[in-house]
Amino acid sequence: MAEPRRVGNPERRTNRGPGRILVAVYGVFALAATTRAVVQLLIQYDRAPLAYWLSLVSGLVYVVATITLGLGTRASRRVAIGAIAFELVGVLVVGTLTVADPALFPDATVWSTYGIGYGFVPLVLPFLGLAWLWRTRPNR
Amino acid sequence: MIDGLAYAVIAVAAVGVVWAVISTARNRTTSWALLGWVALSELVTLVQSVIGFVRLAGGFRPAEYATTVGYLIGILVLLPLATVWALTDRSRWAPAVLAVAEAGVLAMTLRLLVLWTPGG
Repeated sequence: MAEPRRVGNPERRTNRGPGRILVAVYGVFALAATTRAVVQLLIQYDRAPLAYWLSLVSGLVYVVATITLGLGTRASRRVAIGAIAFELVGVLVVGTLTVADPALFPDATVWSTYGIGYGFVPLVLPFLGLAWLWRTRPNR
Repeated sequence: MIDGLAYAVIAVAAVGVVWAVISTARNRTTSWALLGWVALSELVTLVQSVIGFVRLAGGFRPAEYATTVGYLIGILVLLPLATVWALTDRSRWAPAVLAVAEAGVLAMTLRLLVLWTPGG
């Protein structure tokens, strides 16, 4: 007998099964990037404001992705798709810009050189996120 | 920061990663023993951050001051949040969440060791 695949089947929610690991990884990046950016903005704003604001944006994108993947509702997965698509574009654009012109940001961001400071996890993560959203997509 | 203490944090976190991964591989949910280990890990991390802030208050200025402060704070929140996320799920994936958080503590402590050099 075929597995019933109705909407709301817990197996297909983004916050179940291996999805719990994905939420945890997003959570680690949300925390690391956001706290670092907030402290940089607070105590050494003038050193590299653009890089710090960009770090804050990337941190908040990770926060949104963490929460929406963690909620695992139909509405939250739409927001997750938007956040992770933004993340993908962000890491590709910022990565390319920082390779082309290393002097662009005086201080590193999460996405500099495709996330080289973080073992390139920031480059892999959006692909994993979108793949997971695709795998858990609701049936029409 | 004290190098020896940082290595202790790294060692405890590494054991936590391996322990949690083994739990997931053996299809087990989070055990009380593993939760105890995570609590120990949080404790040594807390001691490390407190010593770090005492040194900063004493006038030590690492080159990447803001990043150092951000990491000393952020590293404390990882394990408690991951524990909540792991306890709201009783499947084999709960310990894997703890593995991710312990790996995060490990990576951030490695970064802190590099950051902890005097700068201008």
